[in-house]
Amino acid sequence: MEYLKILFNILVFPGCLFVGAMGLLLSGIDRKVLARMQKRVGPPIIQPLYDFLKLLGKETIVPKAANRKVFLGAPVVGFAALVVTAALIPVLGYRAFEGSADLIVLLYLLTIPAVALIIGGSSSGNPYAGIGISREMVTMMSYELPLICIFLAVAKKVGGSTLCFSLSQIAAYQQANGSLIGCVSLIPAAAAMLLVIPAEVGTQPFDVAEAETEILEGPLIEYSGAPLAVFKLNTSMKMYIMTALFSALFLGGLATGVTALDVLIQVLLCIALTLICMTTIHAVTARLKIEHLFKFYWTVVAGLAALSLVLVWLGF
Amino acid sequence: MIKKAIANSMQKSPWLYHVNTGSCNGCDIELVACLTPRYDVERFGFKLAGSPRHADIVVVSGPITSQSKERLLRTLEQVPEPYCIVTLGSCPQSGNVFKGSYSVEAPIDKFCHVDVAIAGCTVKPEAVIAGLYKATEILKKKREAMNK
Ligand code: SF4
Repeated sequence: MEYLKILFNILVFPGCLFVGAMGLLLSGIDRKVLARMQKRVGPPIIQPLYDFLKLLGKETIVPKAANRKVFLGAPVVGFAALVVTAALIPVLGYRAFEGSADLIVLLYLLTIPAVALIIGGSSSGNPYAGIGISREMVTMMSYELPLICIFLAVAKKVGGSTLCFSLSQIAAYQQANGSLIGCVSLIPAAAAMLLVIPAEVGTQPFDVAEAETEILEGPLIEYSGAPLAVFKLNTSMKMYIMTALFSALFLGGLATGVTALDVLIQVLLCIALTLICMTTIHAVTARLKIEHLFKFYWTVVAGLAALSLVLVWLGF
Repeated sequence: MIKKAIANSMQKSPWLYHVNTGSCNGCDIELVACLTPRYDVERFGFKLAGSPRHADIVVVSGPITSQSKERLLRTLEQVPEPYCIVTLGSCPQSGNVFKGSYSVEAPIDKFCHVDVAIAGCTVKPEAVIAGLYKATEILKKKREAMNK
């Protein structure tokens, strides 16, 4: 029974199936609303599902210069890491797994999909992929620092003198004392997190690593068929995971205790967050250069996160 | 059932890869015009892909100059099955105003199959959309043939 429950958690809810469906839904909504913002009709909301199925039906070509095992294994590793991440993040009140240092594990797990992309791209042997992976690496470094500061600020706020890295304790704290976004000291951290989300997911203006118009999708350039489908699915799943992480960290007070209702609220929250921090920013900006992205994250975003950290440490 | 869903999605999500083989740029602009808010081919799921590996429909414009012929064939070899080739404008079909030049190799059907040929100099965006839509139907048929 124990094992069945774990299996259910990983494969159906909140793992694989749920996060996959949510990812496709969120990116469908993102594309549709973006089109409406540009006064277009836009693709149907289930367009990402069509794309996914279509790619499954295409031939998979492995280039001669590529390392076959690494080339085909990389997307699967990224996918597996994302499924585990999704199972770790609470769906408002509902927690599948308990742990005492979830945030630290998450920090590591969240880098794996990016690393998988880097490894897959570099094994393809394409020079454009080479440029793409160096950019992906810089992007990763730029958002990692603010992300760590945000996690530390939240952990300090909840834990008091001892840092608390457990997501269930963070959720419990918020249910008792209201959402963390209500604390003055954590508002800069929440703003920083909203800016980290698009970089982590890789949407415009922070999609320098996969810029289709200049380096032809960078690391993905040699991928076709099913591995490409998995990589595209990974990007969509990241949309759900990052928005869910935001609501777990800052909006946990909205939990009602009824699981079905919680899931519904979570879905709505994710959609709202996607529209705020991905679609709107995408619609009004053009792609940044990689050095501008790096500077932006290490000054503005890291500054906001550090401000929060200092405020929390001073006891606000 | 999954195979049927895949064949259906083939029609719903065709990604374009555009090869310019020495066109005067007129047809290229009209293809790009189809992506703008006025015509918005994304409503049928069309998307401009950056790499031939992601392509479902290869759009060829221009009269195939001797220099670009080899590149065109190499690009076509990199496209995963099933895919369609659509020619844009009169140039690839006949050579158009460039016909008779020592450096022009048109018509295109000498070296590869053509699924849909869109006529005009320049092509009208409406014609491009109609042609591309026809190509998606062919794509679906090709995928169904692969199932058997
Ligand atoms: S068909 Fe006409 S407009 Fe199109 S590329 Fe040829 S000459 Fe230019």
